[in-house]
Amino acid sequence: MRSSGTRQVTATIVAQQAINGIVLGSLYVLVALGLTLIYGVLVQINFAHADFVTLGAFAAYFFMHLFGGSYLASIGVALVVGAVLGWLINVSIFAPLRHKGSELLPLIATIGVSVMMQNAMLSLFGPVPYAFETPYSQQVFRVAGTFFTAQSIIIIAVSIATIALLYAFMKFTFLGKALRAVAQDRETAGLMGINPSYLIMLTIVISSALAGMAGAMLAPVLVLTPFAGTSVIVKAFAIVIIGGFGNVEGTILAGLLVGLIESFTTQYLDPGLIDIVVFGLLLLMLAFRPTGLISERREENV
Amino acid sequence: MRKQAGYVLAATLAIGLIATASIGAAQAQDKTIKIGGLLPMSGPGAYFGAQDKQGVELALEQLNKSGVNGYKFAVQYEDSACSPLPASQAAKRLIDQYKPDIIIGEECSDATLAIMPIIEQAKVPLLNAGSSALKITDPGNPWTFRIMPNEVMQGVDIATQAYNKLNARTAVLLNETTNAGIGNAKVFKDTFEKLGGKVVAEIGFGRDINDFTSIATRVAGLGKVDVIPTYTLEGQGLKITQALAQAGVVKGGGGPAIQLGTIWLPFGFEQKAGKAATGYVRIVQFDPTDQRDMVKDFVAAFKAKFNADPTHLHAHAYDQIMLIADVVKRGATDAQSIRDTLAATKDFKGVTGSVEFDKTNQNIKMDTIHYMETKPDLSWNALKWN
Repeated sequence: MRSSGTRQVTATIVAQQAINGIVLGSLYVLVALGLTLIYGVLVQINFAHADFVTLGAFAAYFFMHLFGGSYLASIGVALVVGAVLGWLINVSIFAPLRHKGSELLPLIATIGVSVMMQNAMLSLFGPVPYAFETPYSQQVFRVAGTFFTAQSIIIIAVSIATIALLYAFMKFTFLGKALRAVAQDRETAGLMGINPSYLIMLTIVISSALAGMAGAMLAPVLVLTPFAGTSVIVKAFAIVIIGGFGNVEGTILAGLLVGLIESFTTQYLDPGLIDIVVFGLLLLMLAFRPTGLISERREENV
Repeated sequence: MRKQAGYVLAATLAIGLIATASIGAAQAQDKTIKIGGLLPMSGPGAYFGAQDKQGVELALEQLNKSGVNGYKFAVQYEDSACSPLPASQAAKRLIDQYKPDIIIGEECSDATLAIMPIIEQAKVPLLNAGSSALKITDPGNPWTFRIMPNEVMQGVDIATQAYNKLNARTAVLLNETTNAGIGNAKVFKDTFEKLGGKVVAEIGFGRDINDFTSIATRVAGLGKVDVIPTYTLEGQGLKITQALAQAGVVKGGGGPAIQLGTIWLPFGFEQKAGKAATGYVRIVQFDPTDQRDMVKDFVAAFKAKFNADPTHLHAHAYDQIMLIADVVKRGATDAQSIRDTLAATKDFKGVTGSVEFDKTNQNIKMDTIHYMETKPDLSWNALKWN
């Protein structure tokens, strides 16, 4: 009798940690998608991605608190703010540097943009943590011993919708196809009448928009300060690498995997070991399967 | 040629004037007590620095109106980021360039422990008000003083009160994996187990953890737990309290467990955490509703200047500067005499309580420690345990 009771408790805990892992993993996927997209098209790492996430979170916060907007609308606002700022930074900083022909300059510029954005947000919003409340994180559902919030349902729904839209865009629209062409071979795509500069701009805008939206989704989970994004970005980088640089399917799988690793390591080992397990996996992947979880030819990634 | 000579003459005169002016300024500075502020202004502990600075500013404004024994007070800040490496670099920069007579800071124990040897070598006193690790004053460093209770003073008391007053017999420890987090948790565990209580689980985590749902799930799976002593900075503290409520573990989420906290959390934590904080019991060293005249004046002056309620961080920083002013009043003029006079402090009265240092330079007067319980309307219920 007692053992079946214990087994039931164990099953509930496993189910609960699976839910926790998938919700957290979905958030990681949203952050990592933008990174992987930029890598796929530009073969460039964007160190300012974390700060677009933070900015999205603050945009959502102020939309709700200054204009009385709803949380769901604030997700859209964060997306737009991310997109606009991404466009602005591309036009004013990244594009001119890219035209100078160096691969290194835009990469270093992303570090500069990151420091600049962090300090701008620090002076605008201050260092004291903000409490980001949504009516949905208070709504707790309890089903068969497990619990989840309305917020986590929104997180999963938005993640699925985003992934589906991104897929449809890439596979079925002209721009999406052109984007994949630029990812495969920038010069040849240019010869075929595709304007690579325009498509690179589009990639940066989509990526920043995704980061901004991820910020609004993460905000209720994050300790919201001007440095909030940096706490998830290291994991997002790990996810991009485990997923195979620039591989969208791989990134989704890796994001969920890291979320699950985090929740089960917390349950059965120790939360202090999460980074060791995640980055241990990263090293193993680099050593034995550098193409990522889903092996594909590099050219076809995005 | 003549025109050029005129320029040279004018330039020489100008340089001469500037030099004279700066000598004048230097002479004026001779009558200034230079205070170095090693405070976190970036990273997860940045809220400490922001609030400490306001407390310091208020004290300086009040003191510099007339000065003390002919001395004015000036503070130079460096960002020490609540972390050992940036704190050591900031300490070196401060000592080399500003040459302070005394330094206040840091908040995080890891950072304070890192800067202590550097400051000791420079023979500058360090006045700390925010770090709880025992090692800071045990076995004692002649140049480091602390006015806040250390982890043993806090931890032994919390564990004893939990066992006796709350009838707690089981506990789960949640702590950040820093010197202060680990140290505080250990003191609670040792005391609680000695009394006959049982620590069911000890869960440590890094400062990069954001989502505490998994940790709350693990706690929920441990069965009935009476108390959950928690040792984190404010940001993670908020997330833990909310996750524990969502998992139905603590009173704020309809569960039986009571979360216990230390002086780390500032006033206003409950309002940010929302109803999840209901039933939270914690130590506060500064109570803004304290009826002593000194506290009432401080709260009024603070509100007038910043249009907000002061937290214990504001109060600690204010007391640090006021204690330095008290030491100057008693005749101290430089680093060495400030150290010696500080060590002899017997009955300084501050807004966070009295100060008297023992031979390890730890403040032994703990007369204003209060236990507060968070009521459902998020206001405090003073438990009057001490």
